[in-house]
Amino acid sequence: MRESWRRIRAVAENTFLEAVRQKVFAVLLVFALVLLGGANYFAEFSFQEQFKFLKDLGYATISLTGLLVGLLGAAQLIPAEIERRTILTALCRPLRRWEFVVGKYLGLVALLAVMLAIMGAVFWAVLRWKEAQLIGLEGGEAGVVQAIQAESRDPRLWQAFALMGAKLFVVCGLAVFFSTLATSTTFVVAMTLLVYLIGHLQSVAREQWLESGEKAAWFIQLFLAAVALLVPDFNLYSLIDEIVAGNVVPWRATLEVLAYSVAYVAVLLAAAACLFEERDL
Amino acid sequence: MSRVVALALAGGLILGWGIGKLPWEIRMTKEQRLATVGFPGPTAVAVREKLGQGLVLAALGGFRGLAANALMLQAHGAWEEKQWVRVRSALELATLLQPRVALFWDLASWHLAWNAAVAAERYEGLESETRRRIEARKWVEAGRELLERGTRAVPEKALLFQRLGDLYWQRLSDYQAAAVCYRAALTKGDAPPYLERFVGYALDKAGDKKAALAYFQELRRTMGENPDPARQPEVVEREMQRLTKELRTSPGGKRP
Amino acid sequence: MSAAVWTQSLRKEFTLGWGRGRVLAVEGLDLEIKRGEVFGLLGPNGSGKSTAMKMILGLLRPTAGRAEVCGNLAGTLAARKQIGFLPENPYFPAFLSGLELVRYYGKLCGLGGKALEGRVAELLSLVRLGGEAGRRPLRTYSKGMLQRAGLAGALVSDPEIVMLDEPTAGVDPAGSREIRDLIRELKERGKTVIFSSHLLEQVEDVADRVVILHRGQKLREGRLEDLLTMSGEWQVRARGLGEAQRRELHAWLVQHGAEVLGEGSPRERLEDYFLRNLPERERR
Repeated sequence: MRESWRRIRAVAENTFLEAVRQKVFAVLLVFALVLLGGANYFAEFSFQEQFKFLKDLGYATISLTGLLVGLLGAAQLIPAEIERRTILTALCRPLRRWEFVVGKYLGLVALLAVMLAIMGAVFWAVLRWKEAQLIGLEGGEAGVVQAIQAESRDPRLWQAFALMGAKLFVVCGLAVFFSTLATSTTFVVAMTLLVYLIGHLQSVAREQWLESGEKAAWFIQLFLAAVALLVPDFNLYSLIDEIVAGNVVPWRATLEVLAYSVAYVAVLLAAAACLFEERDL
Repeated sequence: MSRVVALALAGGLILGWGIGKLPWEIRMTKEQRLATVGFPGPTAVAVREKLGQGLVLAALGGFRGLAANALMLQAHGAWEEKQWVRVRSALELATLLQPRVALFWDLASWHLAWNAAVAAERYEGLESETRRRIEARKWVEAGRELLERGTRAVPEKALLFQRLGDLYWQRLSDYQAAAVCYRAALTKGDAPPYLERFVGYALDKAGDKKAALAYFQELRRTMGENPDPARQPEVVEREMQRLTKELRTSPGGKRP
Repeated sequence: MSAAVWTQSLRKEFTLGWGRGRVLAVEGLDLEIKRGEVFGLLGPNGSGKSTAMKMILGLLRPTAGRAEVCGNLAGTLAARKQIGFLPENPYFPAFLSGLELVRYYGKLCGLGGKALEGRVAELLSLVRLGGEAGRRPLRTYSKGMLQRAGLAGALVSDPEIVMLDEPTAGVDPAGSREIRDLIRELKERGKTVIFSSHLLEQVEDVADRVVILHRGQKLREGRLEDLLTMSGEWQVRARGLGEAQRRELHAWLVQHGAEVLGEGSPRERLEDYFLRNLPERERR
């Protein structure tokens, strides 16, 4: 068990190190940070609107960067290692294949977590900057200051952050799953992106499938069923939008979505390990 | 483990989980809607909008907030250029993308029922006063319709009900309807304290002084012996005195 | 004691996909490689050498047949613990330094802590990549250096068996000689060395035994001496013979019924000539 963990950690560390030493991720990070800083630009609206714009732009920047990191990272995962044949020198060691799969996933997730942490810290700083700016502009009246701070120091933002991270971790899980099937990096990136997009439609497909009964043609039923069964419901994470819109989202709902994400990743990794176990290299 | 077994196992895992997750997803979706909208599906938004939303959502992949903001900026730009049709379409789209953002409905209805309507009233391209009035009225109606959809999309907040009341009062002079809206807003919990007097004002303005007095009396009663100063009991008492006096001089209660 | 590597009727077919049929890469391969032996898998490109090696390593699953490593089924952890592998054309994660590479492979073998660090330093100096060279990124390495780094990586867990896939392909003569010296050194330390090569002349001086593969099947197997010695012929190399004596020798041979197949001044192998003419310090 302990030796197993040590090997998983070695793979994860190596994956992380590889990503960190690639310029593309640093460039992405810098790009994201510039965008986050620039999000403070819209000034001609009410402060509620300004905060909404800032938060939307912040979340969009962070999740887009996260998505790119996930996709690019996934491309670096197993197919690139097979293409470069570096995988041979790793898997000929006393290293179980599932350990390799899990290690790769954890390395990617660690990279994502570090980047999210950096972007989150900058986002927090930008919000506080906006707060100071607005208080300076709108005057120091107690009610106004309180209303501004309610926006800038909204603890629900961390709730949204946790949801965003969970969503991206599921995307990474998908990428790892596809990378155990694929021979090319393009396939992995394309499939992951496709499922990511369809995942936002899953709930619509699911409801159509369950409610349509006998009415729809069989191939439509089949298609809807396939989407409902095989694709994660990324709409569950639109709680993020609720939070940005300033609506109350109970923690219970948030935690349940997080649990759903963990379960999903576990299933994806288990299936990936099965597929990878028998794969010729 | 042979390749066939591995494939079957992986496929079984994915499919088994797919079947197992369905009830979970359905329950979570239902609970999320219940928690955020106040009642279970098929969401507060009409089915037509739901389907449209789903497709747009897929295309935007979780970045719809950004798109909605872009549309709001576009609306803002069009407003500055007095391009009212463009303002309207951008606002409609923005609220379609993010129906749960009360701010959007608020801003959108303000643009339509106030800014566009006032511009129409003053539009010199239309010769007759009546034509201008009719045109303005169209914009006010558009704003009202939008706000009503907004109250259905964000039913748990006071803001849009309050705005709808304002619209009935200020733009349509329908004070009874305004009173109904303010009452609805007051059931939402996040209504500002001053709003509770607005119901009385609206009833008074509608000419129903008896109802207004009864409302203020009931309001004062709910404040109790030691009222919260934020609710301004002295203002309520002043209104009660005024209305009592006015009713004495004109006992019918209805404005002449 | 069980053989280092033992295979029976090993067979591997690759499915091409999209209904394009199958390719037979290895068929009916029986091998028994003894411990401490230097064993060569020879054959032209595409003869199944790499496929056979990968099956022994567990990277490919045999379609049929069985492979064992030190008595363990190939591909199991126990089997893989016995093997250090250097793949053809070292494909290593280029972002690592030599030091990090060997350390990474050590960790994958379950090593860690001070023991690992000591082992890494020792191996790097063995392959002459100690000090500054070990800290440079692998993408700045020459091919020979990469091979040596890879070899250090293969040896990190002190395996019983060292497998080298085309270790001399694409390496200059000095590097190639070096690798052959290393193979000898490994043999002296009691390791089993299995390597593949299509450059047949390079393996002559190191392999104890070879198997020659052709189109996935075993063509010949045996000790190099037995395979290569032409027992019906005789060769003499001598120095100091004049023209007259040479003619006399030729006549003597013919007179005694021998068929003279060739005579003349022998030529040195180009590789040896090259190495002999290198400056002293670069020869080793």
